[in-house]
Parts: sequence; C-alpha cells; structure tokens
Amino acid sequence: MLQYLIILLDETSTSFCHYENTRKERNLIPLDVLKKGIRYGMMENLMIQFVFPKYDLPQEYKDEVETIDHSKIKPIADEADVWVADEPAKVDGNVPVVLRVSKEVLFEKENEVVEMLKSVPRLNIVLTDVETFTENDFTRYKSLLERVAAEVERMYVDGKSPQINLLTDRMMLSAMNNCGAGDMSVTLAPNGKFYVCPAFYYENEEDSIGDLEHGLDIRNKQLYKLEYAPICRHCDAYQCKRCVWLNRKTTLEVNTPSHEQCVVAHLERNASKELLRNIRKHGTFLPEKEDIKEIDYLDPFDKRETWQ
Amino acid sequence: MNSIKNITFIVTKDCQLACKYCYLVGKNSKERMPWEVAKQAIDYILGHEEDFREESVVWDFIGGEPFLEIELIDKICDYLKTEMFRRNHHWFNSYRFSFSTNGINYDSPKVQEFITKNHEHLSIGITIDGTKRKHDLNRIYKGGAERGSYDDVVRNIPLWLKQFPHGGTKVTISSADIPYIKESVLHLFSLGIREVHINVVFENVWKEDDDKLFGDQLIQLADEIIDGGYYNDYSCSFFSENIGKPLDRVLYNQNWCGAGMMLSVDAAGNFYPCTRFAAYSLRSKKPIIIGNVHDGIDKNKLRPFLTLDRTTQSRQECIDCEVASGCAWCQGENYDAADTATIYQRATAICKMHKARVRANNYYWNKLYRKLELEDMREEFEKSKPKSNDLIC
Ligand code: SF4
Ligand code: SF4
Repeated sequence: MLQYLIILLDETSTSFCHYENTRKERNLIPLDVLKKGIRYGMMENLMIQFVFPKYDLPQEYKDEVETIDHSKIKPIADEADVWVADEPAKVDGNVPVVLRVSKEVLFEKENEVVEMLKSVPRLNIVLTDVETFTENDFTRYKSLLERVAAEVERMYVDGKSPQINLLTDRMMLSAMNNCGAGDMSVTLAPNGKFYVCPAFYYENEEDSIGDLEHGLDIRNKQLYKLEYAPICRHCDAYQCKRCVWLNRKTTLEVNTPSHEQCVVAHLERNASKELLRNIRKHGTFLPEKEDIKEIDYLDPFDKRETWQ
Repeated sequence: MNSIKNITFIVTKDCQLACKYCYLVGKNSKERMPWEVAKQAIDYILGHEEDFREESVVWDFIGGEPFLEIELIDKICDYLKTEMFRRNHHWFNSYRFSFSTNGINYDSPKVQEFITKNHEHLSIGITIDGTKRKHDLNRIYKGGAERGSYDDVVRNIPLWLKQFPHGGTKVTISSADIPYIKESVLHLFSLGIREVHINVVFENVWKEDDDKLFGDQLIQLADEIIDGGYYNDYSCSFFSENIGKPLDRVLYNQNWCGAGMMLSVDAAGNFYPCTRFAAYSLRSKKPIIIGNVHDGIDKNKLRPFLTLDRTTQSRQECIDCEVASGCAWCQGENYDAADTATIYQRATAICKMHKARVRANNYYWNKLYRKLELEDMREEFEKSKPKSNDLIC
C-alpha cells in the first residue's frame, strides 16, 4: 500500500540513494506545484519526505514545507531528519546519516566509516555501484563486513547500540524491508509529475507514472510488489534494498535483481548472522528473535530448481 | 528428462516470396549473416560448455528463407561438427540441424547434397498453407504480380516425404484463414503429410464471432478426421487430450514458452532470448539483446526469463480458469503487447479462441472414443495412437 510521497524540492535535490544526480542547474519546484503536492499527500494519507538541494530555500518554501507533518532529507548542514553524506567522516549532531559511497571508497576508507558509525545514531550505507562487483570485490566486501562487524560487536559489549543497515538491520527484521518504490512510495518531481522514485525521473523524464492533475497511473503496478518478484519472494536477506531501478537497469525487469545485488545482500546477511551469534555470546540479546539460518547459497537464483 | 537447447541462426532476411502476413515484407532487408559472425557465435557457445548443460542441442536455421544461404549453412554445419568433435563436447553425440523452409529450392543440387551429407541429423519442415487457393492467397512471389508459389512447393513434397517420411508442417491461423481450416488440414493429409502442427496467432487480430467460426471449422474437421478414419495415421495438433483442464497453481506453475532457454543470434552477432525479441519481429518495443558474440551473454538479462512462472505473469482470471491447460502464450508477443516494457504481463488475445478450441476438442475425443468403443477398437488405438507435440512457435 502506498504510504510515502517523496517530493524533490529542486532539480538539484541531493541524491539519497543508488542513483547519481548530475543536474547542476537550479530549478525549484514551482510553489503552486509544491502546494498541490502537499494537498495530494494529505488527501491520500501519505507521509511526505522532502528532499532538499544544497542551497538555502526561499522563505515561502520553508513556510510551505511546514504546513504538513513530514521528514527532511538534506545534505549535511542544518536541521534535518536524515542527512546525506558523500564521504565518510565524523559527524556532529544526533541525526541518522545516509552515506553514499562507491565500493573503492568503502574499501579504502574503512576506518573513517567505522569512526562515522560511532558518531551517528544510525548509518545507512548505500553502495553506488553494486552492479559492478566482481568475484574479487565480493571477497573484499566479505572481509570488510567481518571487520566492521567485530567493531559493532565491541560497541555492543561497551553498552552502545550502533545501527548500521548492512549489519544490524537483518538482526532485527523478520520479513522483507526493501525500498518499496512504486509500491509503498512514489516521487513527485519539480515538473509536477509522479515517478517510481527519483532515479526514474533523472534517468528519463518521459518515464512518469501520472501527474498532479490526473493522479497516479502505475502500469503493471503489481510488479513492484514482493509477491510478484520470483527471486526475492524466496529470499531472507530481509535488509536488502531490492532497488527496483537497478533491477531494471541490470536485468530489464523491475522485479528481477542482478546476481551482484543478491550476492552483496547475502554477504551482509551472513555477516549479520555471525554478528548476532557473537553478540549473544556476551549475554541475552534480542531473545524473541531466532538465529539467522545457515544457508548454502549467495544468490537465491541458484536455488530456483528447489522452489515449488 | 532429456533437456534440449535450441540455438537459432538468423542466416538471412531475404526470401523469394513476399507472403502477405510476413513481418519482413516491405522492410526489403537483404541482410545476411557473415561467416565470421557465425564462427564467433559457435566459438563462444562451444567454448562455454559449462553454461550450456542441456543434454542435446538443436541448431536451428531461419530466415527469410534459410536455404538461400545453403553454402553458408553447409560451412556452419561442417564447422559445428568438427568443433564439437575436436572439443569432445557433450553435444557431439546429440545434435540436430533444423530448418523451416518455403520448399521452393528444396530440390536444388546444393540443398540435396547438404541433405545427403547430414541426413541422420536433419529435421526439415516445409510450409504449405493448405489448398492451392488458400496457399496462393498469401504466399506469393516478390515483384507484385500476385504469382502464387503453391505449384513450386508441392512439386517438392514427394521428394521431401521420401527423405523425411515423418516430415511435419506448421500452419499458423489468423482471422482471415479461419474459413479454410478444414479444407487446408485435409489437403495437407492428402499430400501425405501426417503431422500438421497448427495454431492460431497470438496477436490481437480476432474479430467478433471469430471464435464461433473457428469452433465450427474445428467441429467439421473433427467429423472429417473421425468419419474418414484419419485418426490412426494422421495428427492435427488442434486436437490434444491434455488441453482444457484447470491447472493447479502450484503444481503447474511453469512458464509455457521456452524463451530464455533458447538462444538466437542475428547477422550483427547479437544474442536474443528468442528470435521474437529481435528488432525485426517487434512492433512497438525495443529489442531485448542479451549479449553478443564478442562480449558473450549477460547472464543478468537472462534471469527474468529463467525465473518467470505462469502465475506471476497471469491475471487472476487466467489462474482460476477452468480450461487453462493448453492455453499458450508467446513471451515475445507478451512483451510486445504489454503496457510497460516487461515480459511479465501475459497477453490474452487468444482467450476466446482457446475456449472455442477446447469445446471442439472435447467433441472430438468424445466422438472418437465412442466410435472406437462401439467398434471395440479403443484399446488398440490407445496403444498406437499418433503423437502430436504442441509446437507453439
Ligand atoms: S528504486 Fe528504491 S533503492 Fe533504488 S534508487 Fe530508487 S529509491 Fe533507491
Ligand atoms: S538478495 Fe536478491 S533475492 Fe534477496 S531481496 Fe535482495 S535482490 Fe531480492
């Protein structure tokens, strides 16, 4: 069910996810479009997430944003509900951070990432190039996750409760918790049209799924749902982003993930499994949760012969 | 189960004919596959044995008219045989070469030489639409003079049937063909063709009442086959005992069409999950190219095809359908007709035609079995009844 409306306040609104926003020219959403968008959100009972650009907005925009309950996604600067960073660094302020990094930066700046984790209430790492992972990258990623998990374990032992999506989300989850674009959320772009997510807008403006005048028109809407994703519905890497935009880019279908996506998510799942086991060695932890199972695959696709 | 890989070379887009229903007509393409491309494709495929685990292979050659490129085909087949042997490939003992031809130059020395050389590994189907009247309505020579090709094809049928006594033919029915179904099938039987694979097109071409006309034709055909005693030695794929039953959503959740298990390569060296995804056979969508002879196959692009099942792509009405079995689809047509660029939306233009077929099919088996019982022949028939495979494309 649709629950969220993401509103891009400007053409240059910061990217908070897998896609790159390369637009340089400022182009604010027209004020009347913003107003209509907010009204649409109210009428459809949607929680609004505003995505801010790097520069300061005119006062009338700030005022308009405050007319509804919402969350703010911003580059690290002033007050927000989520900050987006493109580099790992220590952060001041009690705000969850999305860190967008390439695999190379992640491998090179592992220590900075750990420092960052220590300084924020929650760290959401988005790999901007999952689709390019090679066998060698998988190996490197696996050992990186093991080392970071050891740090997380130490932090737990020290009485803290760090949150890092790659390792701690899976420990807490009992069902899929994916991005939900096209199913649970849609995006309103500055041109007044709806898109599955900002990535679909930046990739091709023609690819809209309706507009404020006529409402939403999501063709083949079911394909954004988990039940219609043949590989993912058999999977228990619950923390996986399951990025429908990357799916389409790599396999041409929004409901089908790439091999790279699945292996990366399973390396995280397996590292979470070990982490959970290790934390439990120090005492009771999440007693209501079962152990994460041992499995013999990294890509559910390889087990397709066993699906009913 | 004996799994079979189907690998198709689109060797040429040229043809002697300009059939009225052919999607190549008007495009005037003479594009032919260069030997280098064919060789690279073979080197790639045979060099990646681990990705092609199927027990057997059918090397399929299509066009345009494939036999226009008999020299290239001969070279390809020689190379395939040598390479499968040299590499000790598991397909060396289990391969076929398959052709679907218009039959016009079937008796030419070069084609005949090729047949003699490869006979035990060959399957060849010749396309005839039915009676002369029906065939010449559509299958005409290029050049605009409306000259039909029937006589030039039928001339070669005895030779073909001598060389391939089990040779079958494939007939595709569109709206305008419905009134000729009965006479066409009977005519093909009378030419000595024992297996007629026939199906209706998947495209949305049907007019109001086409299902009734279609049903009537099939009932008349059923009467002729049964009353005329053809059922012992001839088969027409419209009548099949397995169609028209509900399908359990769990036990019968397989995809119908084999796209993705097949591989098709064109003159430019691009790979497709099936020929229907190449640009020249699509009406409104971009081609789905899953790789090429230089870079190989992008396995990510095959994942949707290899995990596609019946229920995920079907509407509830189709999942619950009481006569679902045998209702076919073509992934390429699904893609072409879909509201978004997906292979996950089943096209159902065929629905009313399938239902009409099911009713006629029920009639056929009820009538036939009653007759056999009255004649005390049922048991014998069951033992030796001709098999018909439901070919869909
Ligand atoms: S589809 Fe979801 S995960 Fe992918 S870029 Fe869009 S919002 Fe992010
Ligand atoms: S790991 Fe793969 S199968 Fe599992 S949810 Fe992610 S994308 Fe889907």
